Amino acid sequence: MNIDLEMDETWKEEFLARVEKDGPWASWEMYELALEAAHHLSVPEFDGLQAPKHLPHLTILPHQLEVARRVVEEMNGKAILADEVGLGKTIEAGLILKEYMIRGLVKKALILVPASLVSQWVRELNEKFFIPAVQQKKSYVWEQCDIVVSSIDTAKKPPHRDIIYEQPYDMIIIDEAHKLKNNKTKNYEFVQNLKKKFCLLLTATPIQNRIEEIFNLVSLLKPGHLGNAEQFAKTYGKTRAVQTNEHLKALVNKVMIRNRRADTPIEWSKRHVEPVLIEFTDEERELYEAVRALRHESFAGSFSLITLLREACSSREALFLTMKNMIDKCGGTVPESLEYVLEKINAVTTNSKAEKTLELIRSINDKVIIFTEYRATQLYLQWFLKQHGISSVPFRGGFRRGKKDWMQELFKQHAQVFIATEAGGEGINLQFCRYVINYDLPWNPMRLEQRIGRVHRLGQTDDVYIYNFAVKQTVEEHILTLLYEKIRLFERVVGELDDILAKMNLANLEHYFEDALVHSRSEGEMKIKMENIIAMIELAEQLGKEGGKQHAAT
Amino acid sequence: MQQHEIRRFVERYFTANGCTFVEANDDYLIIQLTAEMDKELMNRPFYWHYIERTGGVPQPMQLTLITRANERTDKLKGERLHFGAPRLHQLFRSAQKRGSFIRLYEEPSMPLHGNAALHPWLGMNVTISYECDRKKDEIVSLGLHLISGTIIESFHERLRERRLTPKIPDYCFTISPLIKPRSGIGRIEQYIRGRIAADDHTWADEAHRRWADDLALLDEFYKDSEEKPECYYIEKEALEKQYKPRITVSVINGGLFYLLPRTS
Repeated sequence: MNIDLEMDETWKEEFLARVEKDGPWASWEMYELALEAAHHLSVPEFDGLQAPKHLPHLTILPHQLEVARRVVEEMNGKAILADEVGLGKTIEAGLILKEYMIRGLVKKALILVPASLVSQWVRELNEKFFIPAVQQKKSYVWEQCDIVVSSIDTAKKPPHRDIIYEQPYDMIIIDEAHKLKNNKTKNYEFVQNLKKKFCLLLTATPIQNRIEEIFNLVSLLKPGHLGNAEQFAKTYGKTRAVQTNEHLKALVNKVMIRNRRADTPIEWSKRHVEPVLIEFTDEERELYEAVRALRHESFAGSFSLITLLREACSSREALFLTMKNMIDKCGGTVPESLEYVLEKINAVTTNSKAEKTLELIRSINDKVIIFTEYRATQLYLQWFLKQHGISSVPFRGGFRRGKKDWMQELFKQHAQVFIATEAGGEGINLQFCRYVINYDLPWNPMRLEQRIGRVHRLGQTDDVYIYNFAVKQTVEEHILTLLYEKIRLFERVVGELDDILAKMNLANLEHYFEDALVHSRSEGEMKIKMENIIAMIELAEQLGKEGGKQHAAT
Repeated sequence: MQQHEIRRFVERYFTANGCTFVEANDDYLIIQLTAEMDKELMNRPFYWHYIERTGGVPQPMQLTLITRANERTDKLKGERLHFGAPRLHQLFRSAQKRGSFIRLYEEPSMPLHGNAALHPWLGMNVTISYECDRKKDEIVSLGLHLISGTIIESFHERLRERRLTPKIPDYCFTISPLIKPRSGIGRIEQYIRGRIAADDHTWADEAHRRWADDLALLDEFYKDSEEKPECYYIEKEALEKQYKPRITVSVINGGLFYLLPRTS
């Protein structure tokens, strides 16, 4: 028999010492309890999952359970977890880590995630999985704590890098692993040199990428699984996407699991989307027209008219800030047209959108999230709501993690309204709220989806209400029409558009919109450009559906 | 582990350690800890250091454990106990620490005619863990007769059928062991080795195969490089850690038992 056998010596020595000293001895009851505890802690089978028994409070979905089982039983603990957004990759990773910890196969684990998600991972592992994960803050943490969460940027720097290489990690988990697609980067090299007994790479977008990227990712996990670089280039060099080569797809699927929303019978809570059209007051209308008139100016090329128009739809404060910058740049002489706009700004005394917001918040009488694109509008809204006795919490992407958590908590416990600017979208979970007001609409549908995703995600048990604001007869109304009627954004399954846009490389949809709405010289041109965009999306969708059928058939 | 088993375990644990129940019903327990148990479980070394330094009157804490959650327990400031709960695992560890070593004598069930000889046995409960990239455990209870050298399995079950007491009963005397404890442990280890050798080790063969497969891939990946980079060796070492089959034997608990001889 060619197996190492190790006998535990500690008990023996202690026992002999006690025989020598004639005690102390345990009672029969304690002796029985010790044995009973050992029985409960032992795992009698190689197969199967123990973790769910330890996590009775956690709702584990069938596809998540299946992922954990396959990783442990069929993939030997090395896998790329590539579920689509929103299916709970974190839960799957936590489940696998927990399973290995229960079985005593993992004692030390390193979890590398984007800086903005560190504390969220720590919290989830502790609260959901009872895994005593610790955020790396001081360098001694690497050595003294068993389960450490850190950002990869911290970890790869000295002195951390060398300390980490010394640690006997049993498991490495890397979130957002698609950032490791380039094998020439420092991050890639850092991960390559980590000792990976068990390893999970989490990514939502592994397969749309270029074919070398999937090669790099797989080679990080299991070098040689796709051959070496040369062989790979020779065999698959001409392949454009992984899906098109059956053999390659089969190979990749041995180390990667990807669940699609459509394949899982999850019942999402309902999403009610309501457009809210707002009428400008006469003063506001005059201001808007004054801004529009700027496009005939000689200096019109030097600024983004579309930005000004959108700001004019948001708040006079937002517009004023940009105008002030423009005037400062002009030097001494302020063009007459700008003076005119400033005059119109001063003439505006009310904000129709804000009034509507107030009215809506009062009628909802529950927690509400407001998204705006502009800091100035954010501040104004906070002040405005305060005037009417409504407490709110401002939130920005630039906040440090601790402040983000604090603001999130403040909203949960004390305030009725949460006002976030665009960048605030990532890494916060606001499932406890189910009303969202899109005070201004982003022009990139993906960002709209991210906003909604803050509240409409796995775990949201109630229906979600989304109010999309747009001012009549402005650029906003165009966008609203486009998103609603043409792309039918809100009727789609979560994440569907994500796939479509990725397939067509349409991520920069925003630019197409801008081009159509601003640079068109006539209504006719604008219409044609818009229709072209829509046609592109429809085409992508068509291709996506065919691809989906193939996927289902294999 | 079912909820009622958890409940039973917790009650027995605290009773065995001299704690009293302030309140005990089907849904929860409020336990008055002893000073010793407070130190064992509550993790407040500074408090105890302070009390001992100043000679203050110690006030051990009360612990509220909820074993069946409902509306009544929602209002309670207590910890919910379930199989994965850290508190329960702390109790498991504590029980194993406190129940490791034992010495007991059998009490005759019927009045004795004259004196009775108690035979020395060494009893050991061990966990045998079979480990590669997967793992399973087996718990074995062994008893060694320290005179004849006979080894029997399921020893603990046999002990359960007898009345055992920590003090030597009246009219009983113990026979001195011919086999000393140290060599007794050696014999049991030897027995375990033999038992393992006779096992089916398909699991280890399969692990070796998985290991060899991955190693072949790794070699292929770096076959063109004249001098292998460091990450090749790191990965190779990681594969060994991942797959190499190993068996560990750890002792749960054990001790000396002086038992009346039985014909059966």
